[in-house]
Amino acid sequence: MNRNILISFGFHIFLVIITAMSLPFLAQKTINLPPIVSVELIQITDKTNIPFAPKAKKIIEKVKEKEKKLVSEQAPPKKIKKQKPDAIPLPDEKIEKIKKIKDEKQNPEKLETEVKQISEFEKKELFDTNNIAALIDKSKVENAKTNKKLDKVTQNQDKEMNFGRLTLSEEDALKAQIFGCWSIPLGLPYNENLLVRIKLQLKPDGSIIRTEILDHARMNKPGQGFYKVLAESALRAIKLCQPLRVPSKGYERWKELQLNFDAREMLEG
Amino acid sequence: MILRYLIILLILLPIKAFALIEVDITRGNLNPLPVAVSPLSIDEKSKNSFNKILKKKNIGVEIAVIVENNLKQSGLFNPLNKDAFLQKPDIANLKPRFEDWNLIKAQALITGKVTFVDEKLRVEFRLWDVLAGKEMMALAFTTVPSNWRRVGHIITDKVYERLTGENGYFDTRIIYVSEKGPKTNRIKKLAIMDQDGFNNKYLTLGNELVLTPRFSPTNQMVTYLSYFKNLPRVYLLDIETGLQEVVGDFPGMTFAPRFSPDGKKIIMSFAQDGNSDIYTMDLENRIVERITNHPSIDTSPSFSPDGKYITFNSDRSGYQQIYVMNNNGKNVKRISFGNGLYGTPVWSPRGDLIAFTKLHKGKFYIGVMRTDGTGERLLTENFYQEAPSWSPNGRVLIFYRETKTNAKGEGFSAKLWSIDLTGYNEKMVETENDASDPSWSSLLSN
Amino acid sequence: MNLSKILKNGFIILVASLVLTACATQKKTTGQLQGDVYTGSDSVEYLASGVPDRVFFATNEIVLTTASRETLRKQAAWLRKNSDINIVLEGHADERGTREYNLALGERRANSAKDYLMTYGISSNRISVLSYGKERPVDSGSNPLAWSKNRRSVSVKAN
Repeated sequence: MNRNILISFGFHIFLVIITAMSLPFLAQKTINLPPIVSVELIQITDKTNIPFAPKAKKIIEKVKEKEKKLVSEQAPPKKIKKQKPDAIPLPDEKIEKIKKIKDEKQNPEKLETEVKQISEFEKKELFDTNNIAALIDKSKVENAKTNKKLDKVTQNQDKEMNFGRLTLSEEDALKAQIFGCWSIPLGLPYNENLLVRIKLQLKPDGSIIRTEILDHARMNKPGQGFYKVLAESALRAIKLCQPLRVPSKGYERWKELQLNFDAREMLEG
Repeated sequence: MILRYLIILLILLPIKAFALIEVDITRGNLNPLPVAVSPLSIDEKSKNSFNKILKKKNIGVEIAVIVENNLKQSGLFNPLNKDAFLQKPDIANLKPRFEDWNLIKAQALITGKVTFVDEKLRVEFRLWDVLAGKEMMALAFTTVPSNWRRVGHIITDKVYERLTGENGYFDTRIIYVSEKGPKTNRIKKLAIMDQDGFNNKYLTLGNELVLTPRFSPTNQMVTYLSYFKNLPRVYLLDIETGLQEVVGDFPGMTFAPRFSPDGKKIIMSFAQDGNSDIYTMDLENRIVERITNHPSIDTSPSFSPDGKYITFNSDRSGYQQIYVMNNNGKNVKRISFGNGLYGTPVWSPRGDLIAFTKLHKGKFYIGVMRTDGTGERLLTENFYQEAPSWSPNGRVLIFYRETKTNAKGEGFSAKLWSIDLTGYNEKMVETENDASDPSWSSLLSN
Repeated sequence: MNLSKILKNGFIILVASLVLTACATQKKTTGQLQGDVYTGSDSVEYLASGVPDRVFFATNEIVLTTASRETLRKQAAWLRKNSDINIVLEGHADERGTREYNLALGERRANSAKDYLMTYGISSNRISVLSYGKERPVDSGSNPLAWSKNRRSVSVKAN
């Protein structure tokens, strides 16, 4: 017994000595200060002046979004039922899941089996992205022509800009107001398309003349009962928030407004 | 690059001259929806009749209180204080003045009327959208006066369905084991109560140990484990008549019983010579069928709602894990793969999820996973908790918890708890005594 | 290398390792527990002088330890001497598990003991098995020692 203790002790001391010899010195390391990056604070003004390229990109993306949404809404209810409902995913899986669901919805097997009630106004906005693709190919040929038009477009673009959007601060103000009014029904299925688009006609003081739910037909589709519930909650939010926080000027550009309520972000957690 | 976009802009400009401004609303609040539950209006004659029969002074108020409590307990609604109501029940029922209800911030309003007609209780109620200023729903039904509590639950179910898009779960009952006494010698009785804790009734006397009661889908019968005469066996109990009978004629312990979704079979474990396997017995022709045949412990079986699959607990891999197989015992697949031990799998009535108990590093968890084992989500953690049971709409889980005892072995208690599938609204379910092994019935009104 | 630096480091390491060894998990053989199995005499009763009535198990285990087998041999001997006595083997589990699985585990433990008794010549129709799962703990504490006392198979005289 004692011999064993002695041998064990000896080995331990041996190990200690070895470690002591090779232990790195805790020398003072020099601190590397990262170079100072200068940041410029930009004032958010009433008029937004965003340069061309990102703006155009946004419009194109928006158009693509619309295409996606239209396509998914036309998918028959059977297709949606067959998808295995996913549980609320763990944070790591969230991003993958959203991608996956978007992919699935882009490839429905059947299109246009249901007649969709689209408002007249909306029809005008639809255009074929294929046409644009064709045009893009031609763009190289028409380089010279467009160069000349550049300056003219700049001026026009400036004016048109304000017709196409609210400024950042105007949009944020309206969003913040509606966020506070919208009670999202917790009972909604988190794995379904939870987008309700509502068109509003407004008075100059922000009160509502008329509301119209786009995709109205979906309200009574079997298996989509939650859509009715969702749409009603959005309508309640709008009514609760009257008068809406609308910009003080430029009634012509925002007298008709479309609010896209999407509950998915909140419910997917 | 920029040139392409310029060309597109040129095309867009003439069309989008007055482009419709779109604003994306992607956030809201998850606050419970404020609703006003107006007391049901009732005429004097009916009021007196009900008082005589039911010993309740104002049944219109009582029923409204049930609806209010149910809505509040669900965690999704915020019933407003009655003292602030401006309109009286009888006027409100005919045509509410929405401005009055808007003033107290109600977004939905429930009004109604109750009358005593032909010895029966007749109720009509309406659900109003206060902001839109119109009626959302109007229903009427008649029943025996003694069912007055169920009337409140049924109204809640209809309102819940209309406002959330989901089926309700309020007109249901819970069966459980009521327990008392020292931890080393607990007295256990079968008990049944309404989902809101009222109408509690004991079904056994406490002379023998009773465990794990489960409802039949038809709600007439209950199956459970009893140690009558010191022989642990699965029994059937008829709630209405009180009659009990042993299930089958097994030469050893049978336990962990459940009904098949059509109510025609009992599925359970049978233990012999150290091995527990899963068996079914047909209640009509009494034919017994063996489902698993493996030297491991196979227990806690639960059918899928379409009756095609069975999920169960087995230690065939060395430790307790969850498996799924066809209802004939073929095609056994393991679905739990996380760290820890898994037990008590129970298939959701919606068919989409399996709830379970998990033990890991000395802590117990209640969780759910998809039926293929993916998407495991733990909802709550505790020193000791187990045996989740689903509400009939597959949204709420009820389970039980036990507390740690102190150094002297004192302070033991067992209570029922419930939690929403989203992980919110975790709360204790009040019972007269300690309670364990809860099981939720399906909707009574079906 | 600086000698004082070596000594300083050596000292730090020595102290650190001493501290660590002190914090190591307690060596399992205390007076009452070996590994996870209860070895004490608290709660043990006797079928006859020198014949303990129960054997204990590790968490989730049904394996019989050396001590358990010794106890069972004594029981077998006593049963051979008293051939008119029948027994019931009551199997139990601790509370750290799900209820239904514990019922099965208790049954397995009791059968483990029964099989061993049978190898010592006790006929199986003298031994019946009954599982109580976690329903009848002998110690109501919520600690490993209490739990180890509850993981048991108890031989009870049936007549």
